Amino acid sequence: MVFVTVLRKELVDALRDRRSWIIAIVVSLLSGPVVFTLIANFVGGIEERAAAREVLMVEPARAPTLVNFLSRAGATVLPAPAEPEAALRSGRLQSAVVVPPPDFETRWQRGEAVTLTVLFDDSHDRVQPLLATTLSLLRAFGRESGTLRLIALGVSPQVLAPVAIEEHNLAPAQARGARLLFIVPWAALLVAVFGALPVAIDLSAGERERGSLEPLLMNPVGVAGVVLGKWALVMLYSTAIVVLTLAGFLVSMRLVANETLSALMHLQWRELAVFAAVLLPFAALMAAANLLAATFGRSFKEAQTYVSYLAMSVQFAALVPVFLTARDALWQLFVPSVAQLTVLMKVLRGEPIAAVDLLAPALVCALGTALALLLQARLLRRESVLFARS
Amino acid sequence: MIEVESLAKSFVSGFGRRRQVVTAVEDLSFSAADGSITALLGPNGAGKTTALRVLSTLMPADRGRVRVAGIDVAADPAAAREHIGMLSDARGLYGRLSARENIAYFARLRRVPPREFEQRLAHLAHLLDMEALLARPTAGFSSGERMKVALARALIHDPQHLILDEPTNGLDVMSTRALRRLLLALRDRRKCVLFSTHIMQEVDALCDRIVVVARGRSVAQGSAAELRARTGCASLEDAFVQLALAPG
Repeated sequence: MVFVTVLRKELVDALRDRRSWIIAIVVSLLSGPVVFTLIANFVGGIEERAAAREVLMVEPARAPTLVNFLSRAGATVLPAPAEPEAALRSGRLQSAVVVPPPDFETRWQRGEAVTLTVLFDDSHDRVQPLLATTLSLLRAFGRESGTLRLIALGVSPQVLAPVAIEEHNLAPAQARGARLLFIVPWAALLVAVFGALPVAIDLSAGERERGSLEPLLMNPVGVAGVVLGKWALVMLYSTAIVVLTLAGFLVSMRLVANETLSALMHLQWRELAVFAAVLLPFAALMAAANLLAATFGRSFKEAQTYVSYLAMSVQFAALVPVFLTARDALWQLFVPSVAQLTVLMKVLRGEPIAAVDLLAPALVCALGTALALLLQARLLRRESVLFARS
Repeated sequence: MIEVESLAKSFVSGFGRRRQVVTAVEDLSFSAADGSITALLGPNGAGKTTALRVLSTLMPADRGRVRVAGIDVAADPAAAREHIGMLSDARGLYGRLSARENIAYFARLRRVPPREFEQRLAHLAHLLDMEALLARPTAGFSSGERMKVALARALIHDPQHLILDEPTNGLDVMSTRALRRLLLALRDRRKCVLFSTHIMQEVDALCDRIVVVARGRSVAQGSAAELRARTGCASLEDAFVQLALAPG
């Protein structure tokens, strides 16, 4: 069978290219630990600092009453560095800084209202949780002082609080922070896009550039068998890389991840199986699309140009769901790469996965794969492709 | 037996105003018999390569008819390919595979049984003096070594017809001799050998029949002696120049 013969030859050829596959294995095994260490550090850093309940204050000596309250509330008051505005803007200081007015204590003792300024720059991601802690502590201070003054005047504190507010966050535990975690499925998706790229180029444009395509197609074999054999090898390579990357994810999840991260996302055997089920049809489509794009190239270099534009558009398309305000619209399931990221995010958020979530993207990928392979077979029959060499 | 009747092939490039039509082969007719070596002799750009590509089924003709072993190549290219071995100017090998593996790949694609493959490979390696090359990866082979592997690859299914496009391009004396030896051996086995060239020496030393091609047309055919006699020239080169430059 032509398909088997071509696949066997390409497999031997690819395995002999040791440097390429060793790099591919190392990169795919490392991508898990790198991504997870970064996220774990990021999330862990926020957690630690928020848990530490540190409040930065300009000249704490201006407001001993406030410092006293904060200490009672379990917070540590630290003096803010000099020129806090500049430090906050530059991102050297990623926190919130409380600025009491110089006459805070005298006015406070007189029972006057005092304005506390809180400086922050929330364009830095890590600021939000610390800002929330600082603001809630300051509000608690205001509430306590007000209550004490009302009691001193003989008025029930409830007069001032006719409405009680209770907060119920409906996001499942894993969904908190999942916005940041798009990076996990995105990394997995990129591996499916880029993993087998050099092989796809070598098998199509490389064959043309070497001048081996013409003798190959001179054999009395159908072009379809040749195209299928080459695609199967790229697919095999992609599959190996995707599986290795997911294995890396699993190991890192166990080793690197801290407790917060485990609470943020669900990523165990079951989830990784869904990852594989979503990514492999996509890898099949990318294998066929890359082969097709690279076949247009008369040389390795030209093919690299076409293929990198394709990879780039896939990369950007994948980010669309991250910026969408409406979550998980049906159309998303029918656009390759958007669909994969949407479904994988769902998996990470711990939401139930319906059959349509897996079947619709897989069907689109299968159709796309078939179309790309057909086009490639037609392309290889064209004189301009067969004979034009750079 | 290869029979070519009134073959024509042109190429179109560009669209709209930039559209250009280049006629590569205008009217080519000749035949190459079994048990003989036939040369397509012509200057650069005469249409030899295009003609050979049409003959070897890689390109459809615009007009005319080509029959290989009695099979119309336009009607049944796959069947015609079974009877053709082709050494084109594209002689790319797979650099990470050994010479043997390169040849074995094509043998498998052509469904050559393993035992026959071993026998033929041994025979071809002996004829081409390439036994020492077989186990080596082909990356870094010289052009002579590459030609030998490509030729063995084209002949591994023992085709009745061998078509070669400028086979001695870039070869040293030893490789050229090995090639000649092989072509003569094939002729002795009643194979039909057809090759294109612009080198007179080669034609004089090897060919039974010469087809002079100029401007996409076959302008004269016959043995070297016949062409010399027809033009009244003492050397084949003079005869060729006279025939190729004659107003068509």
